[in-house]
Amino acid sequence: MALDWQPDFEQLVDEHQSMVFSLAWRMTGDRGLAEEIAQDVFLELDRNLAKIESPMHALHWLRRVAMSRSADAMRRLRVRGLDRWVEMDQEFGSPAEESGSPLGARVEQLLSTLPETQRAALVLRYQEDLTPEEIAATLSMPVATVKSHLQRGLKLLRAKASSHLKEYIRGV
Amino acid sequence: MDEMERELRQSLARRPAPSRLKRRVMEQRRQQQSQRTHQRLLLWQRMAATLVLACTLGGLLAWRHTQQQRKGEQLRQQVFTALRITNHALNQMNQQLTAHSRDDQE
Repeated sequence: MALDWQPDFEQLVDEHQSMVFSLAWRMTGDRGLAEEIAQDVFLELDRNLAKIESPMHALHWLRRVAMSRSADAMRRLRVRGLDRWVEMDQEFGSPAEESGSPLGARVEQLLSTLPETQRAALVLRYQEDLTPEEIAATLSMPVATVKSHLQRGLKLLRAKASSHLKEYIRGV
Repeated sequence: MDEMERELRQSLARRPAPSRLKRRVMEQRRQQQSQRTHQRLLLWQRMAATLVLACTLGGLLAWRHTQQQRKGEQLRQQVFTALRITNHALNQMNQQLTAHSRDDQE
């Protein structure tokens, strides 16, 4: 079946644009930058379309390149002395602001304060529903490191949530 | 899975991409494709021009080499002719001198 598969670029964009865009947005915290990253990722897919062998391959490829381009963009921002997540409150359209529920927005905001690698592991685990093995393949990391990032990230998130969300619930 | 993980899963649902994203991607793709076609065409044109130039230069060098060889041959022939004439003149002079000295002895 995979041998008969012919990649249709437009269909791939339709199917995966929300995944690529969401990953980039959650990693960078900047909607405009996420759009640019998603655009670059799809244009790179177009250049490498001949190498894509199956729909699953396309999905993995897009995830991997989206995460890598997001990391590159954040590195460039750091070099320029900018941290989008710190500036997020002053910007419009951060992912937390557009979250469905207020509690969800707070959780997402707390997630944004985590270190980059822990955030990447958690986003892939809970947005994309990937196993630690799949996350390890996407981020080119050992599985043990991914598991450690997931555990530490969750622990840190729980610690932050225990204080912040109590305040929030009290506030509500 | 605890409460935090459930909340995370709910909060981190995929967000719909802006509608302009696909439009921009398709537009950029078209631009890049036409750019690539143009570059490929330019490359072929350059290769063809280089080939024509190399052939012309090679032909010119070969022609010049042939011309030089022909000119060299002509000069060689001229030198031989001059040597033959000189040789003939010297022979004649030698005969005359021999005849003259024979007359003197008689």
